[in-house]
Amino acid sequence: MEEAETKSIDKASIKMIDKAANDGVNTVFDRAEAMKPCPIGMVGSCCKHCGMGPCRVPLPKGKVETPEEKQKRRGICGATSETIAARNFIRMVAGGAAAHSDHGRGVAEVFLAVAKGEAPGYEIIDEQKLLQLALDWGIEISERSNQEIAVDIGAKALNEFGKQEGEILFLRRAPLKRQELWRREGVAPRGIDREIVEIMHRTHIGVDQDYQNLLRQGVRASIADGWGGSMIATELQDILFGTPEPVLGRINLGVLNRDEVNLIIHGHEPLLSEMIVVTAQEPEMVELAKSKGAKGINIAGMCCTANEILMRHGIPIAGNFLQQELAIVTGAVDAMIVDVQCIMQSLTTVAECYHTKIITTSPKAKIPGATHIEFDEHNAMESARAIVKMAINNFPNRGSNVDIPEEQTDLIAGFSHETINYLLGGLFRASYRPLNDNIINGRIRGVAGVVGCNNARVKHNYAHITMIKELIKNDVLVLQTGCSAIASAEAGLMTPEAASKYAGEGLASVCETVGIPPVLHMGSCVDNSRILMAATAMVKDGGLGDDISDLPVAGAAPEWMSEKAISIGQYFVGSGVFTVFGVNWPTLGSNEVSKFLFQDFEAMYGGMWAFEPDPLKAANLMIEHIDQKRKALGIDKARERILYDMTMRRELEAV
Amino acid sequence: MMEYKIEKKSAPSGEDIEVLGATFEEGKPEGEEPGKWRQKLGGRKEKLKYLQTAERYWYGEDWYGSEKRRNPA
Repeated sequence: MEEAETKSIDKASIKMIDKAANDGVNTVFDRAEAMKPCPIGMVGSCCKHCGMGPCRVPLPKGKVETPEEKQKRRGICGATSETIAARNFIRMVAGGAAAHSDHGRGVAEVFLAVAKGEAPGYEIIDEQKLLQLALDWGIEISERSNQEIAVDIGAKALNEFGKQEGEILFLRRAPLKRQELWRREGVAPRGIDREIVEIMHRTHIGVDQDYQNLLRQGVRASIADGWGGSMIATELQDILFGTPEPVLGRINLGVLNRDEVNLIIHGHEPLLSEMIVVTAQEPEMVELAKSKGAKGINIAGMCCTANEILMRHGIPIAGNFLQQELAIVTGAVDAMIVDVQCIMQSLTTVAECYHTKIITTSPKAKIPGATHIEFDEHNAMESARAIVKMAINNFPNRGSNVDIPEEQTDLIAGFSHETINYLLGGLFRASYRPLNDNIINGRIRGVAGVVGCNNARVKHNYAHITMIKELIKNDVLVLQTGCSAIASAEAGLMTPEAASKYAGEGLASVCETVGIPPVLHMGSCVDNSRILMAATAMVKDGGLGDDISDLPVAGAAPEWMSEKAISIGQYFVGSGVFTVFGVNWPTLGSNEVSKFLFQDFEAMYGGMWAFEPDPLKAANLMIEHIDQKRKALGIDKARERILYDMTMRRELEAV
Repeated sequence: MMEYKIEKKSAPSGEDIEVLGATFEEGKPEGEEPGKWRQKLGGRKEKLKYLQTAERYWYGEDWYGSEKRRNPA
C-alpha cells in the first residue's frame, strides 16, 4: 500500500494499484517506472521526419554552448535545433487538432444523417441550439421545419472541414478585437483540414525552416481546432443530445455495483454511448440481466465519454485516464466499450487476467484481442443492443476475485456556457454581468481554465488538486473539462458545499449566493470550446476590457500528456490566454523556440505559454498574471462602495 | 420547520453583528429534472426571443456590449 500511495492521491486508485500488484497485473504505473522517458525526444530535439535520421540535437549538458558549437548542432539535412523543436511542436498541435476535429466531423456526419431521417434512434433534442447555429451561420429559419434547418446546418458544418478559402465560420463568435488580431497576424484559419495538412507539409524535410513561421502555422491550426472542429463537435452534440444543464452525479470506482452488470463506456464520442444508455434501460435488457443472476444493469463512464453522458444524464463516472486499467482490476467490469482517443492498448492484456470483455466500436480504433462491434449510425440501436447483450452474457463469468473500492463522491456537472449565463441572470435577464461585477469588486479575483489529462510520470491527480485548491483559496473561479474535471470531482471540489470548505471568502460568498460550486464542470475535452465562449461572454458583457487577453484569466494543464492538450493549450494562447503546462515541456531543447513561446507570443497574441512542473508555483504564476491584468484594468484596488444620500446627490447634480 | 443559524459577521462600520445564516434545505436533488431550465422555453418564437435577450451580444439587434462603444459591429 505504501508504494501505491506514491502513485496516486486517490484512495480508490491506491487500493486498486495494490490489488493489481497482488493479482500480478502489469499497469501503466508499473510501465512508467520500468521505462524512463527518452531525454532527447522529451525536449523536442529528435527529428525522424526522413530516412537520413533520426537526428538527435540535444543541448549540451552543464555548460554554455559556444556559437560554433551551436552552428554544428544540426540534423543531417541542416535543420537547426530550432527548426526541429518547432516542427515537433506543431506536429503535436496537428495531431491534437486532427483528433478533436475528426471527432467533430464524425458528429457532423451523424447530424446530417439524422436531419435527413437516415439515422433512426437519434433526434433533434435541443431546438434552441439548432436555431442558434442557424443564426450564427445565416441559415434561413422562417417557417422551415427543424429537419430542413438541420440539413443546411449539417452541410455547412461538414463544409468547414474541407473549405479552401475564407475563414471558418465560428471565428465570428470571438470578440471583434480578437478577430482583427487573428487577421493581422495571418492566423485566421481557412478550412480545418487545410490547416492540419499544411502543418504536415511544412514539417516535411526541406520545407518551412523558419521556426517562427512554423509556430505561426501551429497557432492557425489550433484555432481551427478550438473555434472550429471542437466547437462544431460541442454544438452539434448539444443539438442532438441536449445542452448540458445542472445535474447531480457520482464519481469514482465505487460507482461500480457488485450485484449488477457493470458496463463501462470509455473514450470520447457520445454518439454510441447515448444509444447504450437508452438500450440498457429497455425492459427486455433488464430482464435478460436478471435471468443471468444480476439485479440490473449499471452503466458508468470513463474519460471524456463519461463527461458527455454525465453532463446530459447524470450517468456516474468510474474514473479518468489513469483509472481505466484499475476499473478492470476490480474484477467487476463485465464489458468495457471503447471508441476513440486515450484508450490504452494494454486494456486487453489486463482484461485477460479477469473476465472483462473489451469491445472496440470505431473502424478508426481497433485493438488486437478485443471484440469489434462496429458502430453504424444508420443502425445505432442494433449496435448498442448487441453490445449490452454481450456485457450481460458475460456477467456469469465473473471470478471470485471481485473487490470494488467503496470510494465515490457526489458532484454537480452541466455548466455549459448557456447554463452559466442562465444561472447568473435567470430566464428573463440571463447575463454574465454578476460575474463581471464580482470580478470588478474583487470578490472574485479572476477565472482559470484548468483542463487536460493525467500523466503517469507524475502522481495521479496530485497536480490538478494542488493547483485548483490554491486557485480557489485565492478567490479564483475554476472552469474545468476532461480528466482534470474528473480529478476535482473525485476530490469533492464540485459540490456547492466545497465553496465554504475550500474557497476564499469572496469566491465562497458568490458561490453561496448563486448556488454553484467553486469549480465548474464544463464537459469533455472538445468542450473547451465552451470555455472560449464563456471568456467571450465576459468580454462582451463589458467592464473587463475588449479582448480575451484583457481579462484577468489564465489556463493550465498541470498533468498533460496528449497532443490534444498541446492543441488546446495553443488555442488558449492564440485566443489571448496565459497558459501554464506541467510535467515536461516539448521544446526545451531549443532556448529560442521556448523563449518565443514563453515571451514573444504575448506581443503577438496577448497570450503566452509557461512551463512549471510544481503545481503550487504554477498556480501562483496564474494568480500573478491575473493580478497584472487586474492592475491593467484599474481594478486592483478595492474601492469602498458609497451609498449616496439625497444631500450628496444634490451636491453631485450641482457640479 | 427549518432552523435558522445565526452567524457572527463584521459590519461595514467594523462592529461585530449577528445575522441569519444560509438557509439550505437538506438532501439532494433526485433525477434529471431539477436542473432542467431550457424546457421552460415554449415554442420557437420564445426560443428566438430568448436568444435575442440572453445571448444579446451575438443575436440581439440593440445590444453590442462592450464592443459597441469603440468598434461598431
